[in-house]
Amino acid sequence: MALTITCPVCGKRNGYEFKFGGEEKGPRPEEKDLTPKAWCDYVHMNQCVAGVQKEWWFHKDGCGSWFTIYRDTTTNLEKEAGLANHQEADKS
Amino acid sequence: MNRFNHLPTLKIDTAQKISFIHKGKKYYGAKGDTIATALFANGIRIFGRSLKYHRPRGLYSLDGESSNTMMEVDGIPNVRCENTALKEGMVIQEQNVKGSAENDMLGFLDKLDWLMPAGFYYNVMHKPAKLWPFAMKQIRKAAGLGKISPDFKMPGKYDEIFLNTDVCVIGGGPSGMMAALSAAKKGLRVILMESRPWLGGCFEYRSREYQNRLTLHERAHQLSKEVESLENIRVFTHASVVGTYNNNLVTGFQVGKQKDVFDERYIEIRAKSVVVATGCIERPLIFDNNERPGVMQTGCALRLAKTYGQLPGKKAVFSIGHDLGLEAALELHDLGLSIACIADIREDGQDPALLKKISEKNILFLKGWVAVKAHGRKLVKQVSLSSIDGLVKRKFTCDLLVASAGMTPVTGPITVAQGKLKYDTHTGFFLPDVMPEKMYAAGRIMGLEHPLSIETSGKLAGLKAAFDCGNCSIQEIGEAKKDLENLSGPVRGTKLVTAPVKGRKSFICFDEDATIKNIKQAIGKGFDVPELIKRFTATGLGPGQGGIPGHNLPLYVAKYQALPDISIKPTNVRPPLVPTFISTYAGAGHQMFKITPMDEMQRKDGGVFRNIGVWQRARYFSSDFSCQKEIENVRTNVGILDGSTLGKFRIYGPDAVKALQRVYVSDMSKIKEGRVKYSAMCTDDGCVIDDGVVVKQGENDFYFTTSTARAGQTVEWIRYHTRYDGWNFALVNLTDSMGVINLSGPNARKVLQKIVDMDISNEAFGFAEYKEFKIQDTVPVRAMRLGFMGELSYELHVPSSYMKSVWLMLKEAGKEFNIQNFGVEAQNVLRMEKCHIILGSESEQRTNLLDVGLGFLWDRKKADAKTVGAVALRQAENDQTRLKLVGFKMENNGRVPRDGSLIVDTKVRGYVCTARNSFSLKEAVGMALVEAPLAKTGTRLEIFEDECGDHRIYGKVVEMPFYDPEGKRMKM
Amino acid sequence: MKEIQRISPVEFKTSPLKTEKRNNWEVVMEYSGEGGGPYLVDLSHKPRFDLQDAGLAARKPFGIGIPETFGSSVLENGILVNRMNRTQVSLYCLTGQDNTGLPDEPGFTDVTESTIFIALIGKEVFSICEKLTALDFMNPERKTPFLYQGPFSHVPCQIVTLSRDKETSGILLTCSRGYGRDMIHAVLHAGEEFSLKPAGENRFTSWIKNL
Repeated sequence: MALTITCPVCGKRNGYEFKFGGEEKGPRPEEKDLTPKAWCDYVHMNQCVAGVQKEWWFHKDGCGSWFTIYRDTTTNLEKEAGLANHQEADKS
Repeated sequence: MNRFNHLPTLKIDTAQKISFIHKGKKYYGAKGDTIATALFANGIRIFGRSLKYHRPRGLYSLDGESSNTMMEVDGIPNVRCENTALKEGMVIQEQNVKGSAENDMLGFLDKLDWLMPAGFYYNVMHKPAKLWPFAMKQIRKAAGLGKISPDFKMPGKYDEIFLNTDVCVIGGGPSGMMAALSAAKKGLRVILMESRPWLGGCFEYRSREYQNRLTLHERAHQLSKEVESLENIRVFTHASVVGTYNNNLVTGFQVGKQKDVFDERYIEIRAKSVVVATGCIERPLIFDNNERPGVMQTGCALRLAKTYGQLPGKKAVFSIGHDLGLEAALELHDLGLSIACIADIREDGQDPALLKKISEKNILFLKGWVAVKAHGRKLVKQVSLSSIDGLVKRKFTCDLLVASAGMTPVTGPITVAQGKLKYDTHTGFFLPDVMPEKMYAAGRIMGLEHPLSIETSGKLAGLKAAFDCGNCSIQEIGEAKKDLENLSGPVRGTKLVTAPVKGRKSFICFDEDATIKNIKQAIGKGFDVPELIKRFTATGLGPGQGGIPGHNLPLYVAKYQALPDISIKPTNVRPPLVPTFISTYAGAGHQMFKITPMDEMQRKDGGVFRNIGVWQRARYFSSDFSCQKEIENVRTNVGILDGSTLGKFRIYGPDAVKALQRVYVSDMSKIKEGRVKYSAMCTDDGCVIDDGVVVKQGENDFYFTTSTARAGQTVEWIRYHTRYDGWNFALVNLTDSMGVINLSGPNARKVLQKIVDMDISNEAFGFAEYKEFKIQDTVPVRAMRLGFMGELSYELHVPSSYMKSVWLMLKEAGKEFNIQNFGVEAQNVLRMEKCHIILGSESEQRTNLLDVGLGFLWDRKKADAKTVGAVALRQAENDQTRLKLVGFKMENNGRVPRDGSLIVDTKVRGYVCTARNSFSLKEAVGMALVEAPLAKTGTRLEIFEDECGDHRIYGKVVEMPFYDPEGKRMKM
Repeated sequence: MKEIQRISPVEFKTSPLKTEKRNNWEVVMEYSGEGGGPYLVDLSHKPRFDLQDAGLAARKPFGIGIPETFGSSVLENGILVNRMNRTQVSLYCLTGQDNTGLPDEPGFTDVTESTIFIALIGKEVFSICEKLTALDFMNPERKTPFLYQGPFSHVPCQIVTLSRDKETSGILLTCSRGYGRDMIHAVLHAGEEFSLKPAGENRFTSWIKNL
């Protein structure tokens, strides 16, 4: 596979060693007063950025860690953190 | 045929003969021959027939850019004979012929071309509709080259290697070798891929002077010696690149030599930087019958003589458009080829030195002339030449027409890696405009022809690649750049695309029999860009991947539409860039399955194994796949099952309970030591994905099991759902560490008691209890009393290396009871009778915890734990639209439905999960997921089986479980 | 009642010449027809431990300091300590009588039974490896001994490169025990062209002593 992922423990490896864990969406919301819609949005709604996004990967065939990378979804290349398209501030 | 044996450029050894069979007749070739050159040396000119019109086809290039010379070799169809070395005893057959290639009974199709205009199969034979099934059959019969049977098994040995390198150079010609040398001298690891069986590229067969009386082929030899002497350059010859991708991944394959352990091996290279030095192929000249056997490209004609020691014909006409054509004509003339005429497309611009030699040798030379037609029904007999404007024509008798319009850079490796090409008016090439990251082009691919320019551009590219690896300075690159600028630049190329002809028999694509006329038809229908024309006329869709039509198509399309500039692009080429066997991609094909410690023992006992997920497991122990004996033995006596595939884990640490609370639906804080806690895991949608048991082994220290299928994802799952929490807990996967023996049946206790020293009576070791003990003070065992099969049962977790010993002890102890193995299928029926579910059988992706009746496991009072699935379960609780798991039995003692059959009325209302003939109950029973209104006991279920037509079978919803509803047997 | 025996997940077709009884294992010291290398040695009977601790820096398993860099290893007193990630190390006890017990300290798990454990020794080792994995053993940025956690013949493995020095080249490999049969088959198949042969523990012992 052409895709490479840089694992913080093992370094740059072939993409097929990893499993995709979805976009970065922040921690699980508190269950108190959580509306069904808010919950459903957290679980199922995605930004689907055409550009650089922060996302989770699991090093399945390697060290077994979960970590985030920035990847350009239009080229499938990893990018530096600073190039992310969406506003991190929106999340907080 | 007499073959040259004295030329220094020869790659054959005429003293060593190799025999082969062609169409049942024995022939001889020389060592070093390809199949194609050996056939040609034996006077065979027609290799096969074309796809659509069954036109005779022969040797045209020598690098396999078209399907002309694809043949069936040793039973393998579509072997590229120009690229395949001749081997002793090969059996070669023609393809796509009815009769023979020489006399093909379908040859008349060539006269019916007017019946088959571009895209005819889209237009005709659809009306009347009744005709289509017949027409479709005929078209399918005619379509495709080569024959293969459904049970064809590819012969040969295939292998694979995965390489890492700093610099990968594609192309072992002069520029590629220079690039490899300059990068290697910077201390980098270099891989050099060359598709021919030797290095040297366009220098390798030419006798022209390089410098100081050194010929080009001598220079090639010099460079290849130096390349081979460096330890940090790995050279792969006869190795074609088939793909280039993101992050400089290069894939290809190498053809094995006689001594190699592989026939072909797949190569995958991860490089830091790539140099593309693939050079050029020739741009075919388009005229009438331009693919008639006897017409060939200049490189083909010259290499036949200089590499393979045979003259390409007796009397030749040359119709060329570049100095290489003149050079080839002169060399071949000196080797004894009689030349009737050289027609040069160019009015001027020829190398004066070459012109001088041509006139010295009294060869007729026509400037601004071109071939318009090759005559001869099967082979070239005469050639018509014409002035470019079509005003004057002359006819020559010959058996060889060397034809070439110009050059085409081999840009495949650049464009498949998403590089962009742009038309260049000076060279007439589509040149690399935007290069992919860390990829550099070098050599003739840039339009360079002067030997020193070619080499220097290679050196420059090698240094640029070294710079990417941090091993070269900007200054050095600057110097190399300056050197290149001081040498002669790209040469002017001819722009002629087609001779002045109407084009009914002028082929732009050999593989798909597409003519200039077809292109015009396509444009006439509005398909005005190459990508559309390609689809409509199939031009470039053949195995050559656009090698022949490649750049001619966009150039012709621009010309025919009189476009003001050539903004049109060549069509996309895609991997594989050269035809590649699927078996080559498959490589060594190692099967990787897990086996349990009991694998060998169970095979000896007659186990019938199946691949189940990553494991191989014993599914049956006799040829009776209903497993009646295995089942009855467990119900009435005692059976032994290998459950080693079960997922097993240790979780410990200060936050271990928190992690368990997160993923399990039950309250995991209340687990008592010595007790087995059964629980389940859900997804965020409340859908149930796993069930298993948890036992407490110490403070913040637990041992738990998962289903076989989930074992591989359990660590990932728990870590994922706790990834924001920063909790301190550790997980250890012990799945393979422990084997599991399931001892089930009313006699299970009696058997086990014989090998353990402690009291295992129902009072001392009751249902749902957990014990640890040692067998013979040596083997540590973790034992659980569970009732998955609904009988008295012990699940023994034993260290894998001791499994065999313990298994044998139990077999020995059980001898007096006639203990028997049982397999996965018997277990499946036993647990089904008890209505114990297996996730994946009684559930699918959308089935939640409540649907399968496991709602009692769910503890609603632990919102703080943020249990995965809890929110969704709360929402689903009052949802009346969900399916429910029910038990059913068949009406009137009817037969059992197949798993997966549908429950219907006017609509689909559910499906059968598992249903079997129950030997314990003497009737057919099963479990089904049905819509809530059908879930009430007594409801009649209408069951639709796949392919049953109007026939239905009927069942009735009954109470679960079917067997031992009070659960006395597993607790006895 | 039958004698209790521990069975290795690794089985070779060649016949043992010399064996030794050790903690219920029947350890093969020498096989017939071991040839001149490269060698494949089964070490599955050697004790292996998993140690996890959020504060690894403070831990000194068997008195050995844990390497700080992820993926680096240290070999001391016959025990190989491999840093897997922030919180985890794996420990292989390579020499002696294989009677190193599980330390009575928190965080240790005995994982001897979880994996197969083999050594590949000889100068062609990395030519064999490149047929089975895309991992870059010759990466100049890594210094021996170092740990790779990655796929080998498509199966997740821990692979420790102990030496890349021509004749003494060698790696240790562990993968899930269940894959034993197919992993051995794949390795022997890949090594066939280099005359890779199964060898007894003696080969390993003399090799590790000379490192």
